[in-house]
Parts: sequence; C-alpha cells; structure tokens
Amino acid sequence: MTQDSGHRAYPPLAGRIYSVWYRHMRVYSSNLLSNGLPPFLEPLIFLAGIGLGLGKYVPNFGAIPYVGFLAMGLPITTAMMTASFECTFGTFINLEFNKVYDGMLAAPISVNDLIMGEILWAGTKGFFFAFAVLAVAAPFGIIPLPGGLVMPFAGFITGLMFASLSLLVTSYVKTISFFNFYFTGFLSPMFFVSGVVFPVEELPEALRYVSELLPLTHPVRLARALCLSQFSSALLFDVLYIAAFTVLAGYLALKRLRRRLID
Amino acid sequence: MCPGIITVQNVHKSYGRTKAVNALSFTVREAECFGLLGPNGAGKTTMMKMVYGKAERDAKPEGLIHVSGFDPQHNPLNVRHLLGVVPQDDNLDGELNVYQNLALFAKFYGLTGKAAKKAIEPLIETMELVDKRHSKIRELSGGMKRRLIIARALLNAPKILILDEPTTGLDPQVRHMIWDKLRQMKKNGITMLLTTHYMEEAFQLCDNLIIMHKGEKIIEGPPRQLLQQSMEKYVLDIINKDHVDKIQACLDSPSIRADLSKETLHVYSDNIEALNEISALLEPGDYFLRFSNLEDLFIKATGRALDDAG
Repeated sequence: MTQDSGHRAYPPLAGRIYSVWYRHMRVYSSNLLSNGLPPFLEPLIFLAGIGLGLGKYVPNFGAIPYVGFLAMGLPITTAMMTASFECTFGTFINLEFNKVYDGMLAAPISVNDLIMGEILWAGTKGFFFAFAVLAVAAPFGIIPLPGGLVMPFAGFITGLMFASLSLLVTSYVKTISFFNFYFTGFLSPMFFVSGVVFPVEELPEALRYVSELLPLTHPVRLARALCLSQFSSALLFDVLYIAAFTVLAGYLALKRLRRRLID
Repeated sequence: MCPGIITVQNVHKSYGRTKAVNALSFTVREAECFGLLGPNGAGKTTMMKMVYGKAERDAKPEGLIHVSGFDPQHNPLNVRHLLGVVPQDDNLDGELNVYQNLALFAKFYGLTGKAAKKAIEPLIETMELVDKRHSKIRELSGGMKRRLIIARALLNAPKILILDEPTTGLDPQVRHMIWDKLRQMKKNGITMLLTTHYMEEAFQLCDNLIIMHKGEKIIEGPPRQLLQQSMEKYVLDIINKDHVDKIQACLDSPSIRADLSKETLHVYSDNIEALNEISALLEPGDYFLRFSNLEDLFIKATGRALDDAG
C-alpha cells in the first residue's frame, strides 16, 4: 500500500486551485434545482415588476427605457450579492461549522490554494448569476445583444471583487450574525448610490465623490458602457480601480485568514 | 538522516500566554503505532497539527520537527502528500454521497479518472462500505462515517496515518472493527500517530506511547512495559467509603498505595494477598478487585483533577 507515495509529487498550483474550485462546484450542483433555478426566477420577477409597474412612471434615460437602464446594472448587483453570500456565510460555515477547510488543509492544499479557489468559485457564481439575468432580459430586448454578452464576464469580475472584500470582512467576524451589518449596512445602501437604480450624475455633488470610492460603481459603469459600446478613456479608471481593489482586498484577506486557518 | 519517520525535538507551542506544548520531544519509528495520551487540554491535538502543518510551532532555534525528511512548517504540502489525517470531527460533505466524497478528496492529491477509481474501489471494499457507495453522508451511521473518513485518509497510499481520537463516540463493535483495520494497516507498513483518551485503545494499538500533561511529556515507553514498571499490579476499588475507617489500619503497609478520590478509595498493590485481606473486611458489593490497567497509570501520572479549562 505504501510503495510509491513518496515518489509522486503533490499537484501543481493550478491543479490544487482547480480541485478546491471543483469541490465547491460539485457541492453547489448537487442541489441543481434549488440552487440553479432561483437565479433565473429572481430577475424575472424583478424585471416584470419594474417593467410592468414602475417603469411606466419613469421617463426614458436618453435613448433607453428605464427598465433597460436598470436591467444593465442588475447582472452586476446579482453577481455582487451571490459572491458576497458565498464568501461570508458560506466561508464562515466552512471555516467554523462543517470544517471543510480543515479537511482540505489535511490534504496537500495550502491556505493560498484554498483562498484562491474560493475567490475563483465566487467569480464563477458571479458569471452564472449574471448570465441568468441576461438570459431572462435579453429575449425581451431589455438588455441589447450582442453587447449584453459582456455581462457574464462582468459578473465574473464583480464576483472576484466582492469575494475578496467579503473574505476580508469574514476574517474579522467571530459570530455569524455580524454579517448582517455588512449586508444591510454596506451592500444594500451601495445599491442605491452606485449608478444601478439611477445615474451617478444625478447624485448630490458630495455623494458623487463617495460613489466613486465605492466598489460597486465601477463594474456597473464599465459593464453598461461595454454593453452599449460607449467607449471612453474614463473607463480605464474603472478597470484600474477594479484590479487594484481585488488584488488589495484579496491579499489582506489571505493574510488575515491564514492566521485563522493555521494555528 | 533521522532515526525515525517522525522526529519531534524540543517543540514549544503557545497560544497567547497559554503554553499548549512545552519542550516536547519524541521519535516515531517506521511502521509503528505511536500514541499521544493525556487529559483534555494536554496538547495532544496541537502536537498532531504541528506534525502536518496545520499549526506552527513557536519560533525557537532549538525546536525541530521532521516528517520523512520534511519540515512541515516549510514544506507542508510535501508532508501532507505522504500522510493521511483522520480528524476528530466528521468533516465530510453532507450533500454528496460516499463515492463522491472520496472522489473529491482524491482530486486534492491529483488523483482523477482511472487513478482515482483505482484508489477508491479497494478502500470502499476494505472499509466495508460497498453497499453504501451511493448513500448520502447523512444516511450513514457514526461508525460508517468514521470508516469513510479513514478511507479518505488512505486515498493517497500514505506512509503515515494521523488519527485524532479515531473511535470516540462509537459503539464497542465498531471500535473493535476499526482497531482490526488499523492493526491491518500497521502490518502493511503504515506508521501511525494516534491520540486517544481510551487507555484500552492505546493498549490495543500502540507500540510506544507518551503520556502528556499540560503540554509536557511525563511518561514514555511501550504500554506493557510502562504498566509493569510504573504501576502496581492490582487495584482494589472501594466504592462505599463509609467503611473506610474499618480498613484504615491496613492501609499503612509499605506494600500498599492508597488514593482517595471524592467518592472512591483506590488501593494499589503488587501483593494480591494484602488486598484480599482488606476486601475480607468489606461487604461484597462495596469493592471491586481487578488488575491495574493503563487508565490507572494515566491517573497516577496526571492526577485526578479535571483539566477541561486549559
């Protein structure tokens, strides 16, 4: 039984990260119906409600109807929410309750592999959830095609971003109910000032600067611009913000969670 | 290079001000079963975690851990690639079935497709889980889960198996079955590092053991030898303390050691006659005369005080 284990090497970095990602994917897809259907139902209900109800009272935003404006922000906020749930409640449960991470750290998986696999998985969920919004909205012409095809990828990037931030938040949390502050105190208000529901330009002067500092503003603006093929050099700032934010939050999260995972 | 497959030398580990492991040294030889015994909070689990790089020892130049030539602090992946861990808690994926749990874990070792199947199938068989292959984890009994966790630890054909209280909470049948499996693995050349509260378990499995108390090693040796050397052969447990005055005179003999706990008086001696004389003075239901076991040694070494706090 022991003849050759010493000779084989442990898997390379990419293989290790993939195996962590794969574990999350398998557990998620083992309840395909309950996990896979709501991402499609939620935007359907939301857009129907807005489109049939509220949308009638709101004037068009330039060339596009209000529903269209809102629908182009929705893949991003959905990706944000799913990645945030995954890397707060999900991560906390894996860390403290079902001890999934302890299992991985008994195998040749490092803390780095584990965190990167986690972030990558949250990005994947962002991709999938953004795709679901697109799949619901595109047939009604609410999100234009082919520009709308950028949405799942924007969802992926948004997922990475908020996975990193959420892991950093999780690294401070000792009691699971503290995540409520993060969700109702930070993510929900951000929804209203990041150009999802109405353009950032409509905000009072002071709030506009705040909005530029918030992470959600940038993927929303980037995705909507790409979707409508409205390119400008200002978007470069959004790209840089997203990259820097993800790397910085991810790095700090890794550093702090390492202390929690390794005694 | 090293005398044993696991070498631990002068290792310290503190959590804040609490010292979990204090200047601990021991060596585990290849293909033996080595036990870490001690009350709760003695530092057993912490010591194990340091062996596979789940915990880091205090940075002291004289401290050293070698596992098959690797330092788990610097090469944790090399170490974890050649050993398997059976943790105290069940950390299986409840949503998945037996086979899927093993297949997912096999991937962590880089075993996929046919290689994974080749590793998994024999383990499902040896651990007697063939009928349960497609059962979800929540449908398994405690004993089946334990066997599955052991199977999972064996996926990469490890040289070393780390077992943290492998039979805690299991019924006697399952415990005996797991002991049989572990003995079989030892025969196949797997080295084992085991923690346990069960003295019987240590006696059944361990070739060598240490008893730890408050992070320090207090006794080391093969279990049988330890019993012979450090422990009287017989014990008289006097359950009803009301009669203690009746026998007080007999307890002064030099061949006798008495240990009074809250409700019970334990009288130890190598001389069975001496104990028989005492028991003759008591009512039949008030005492119990028996051979001493590792548990008595454990208590002699670590004291009777509960030590849950540390």
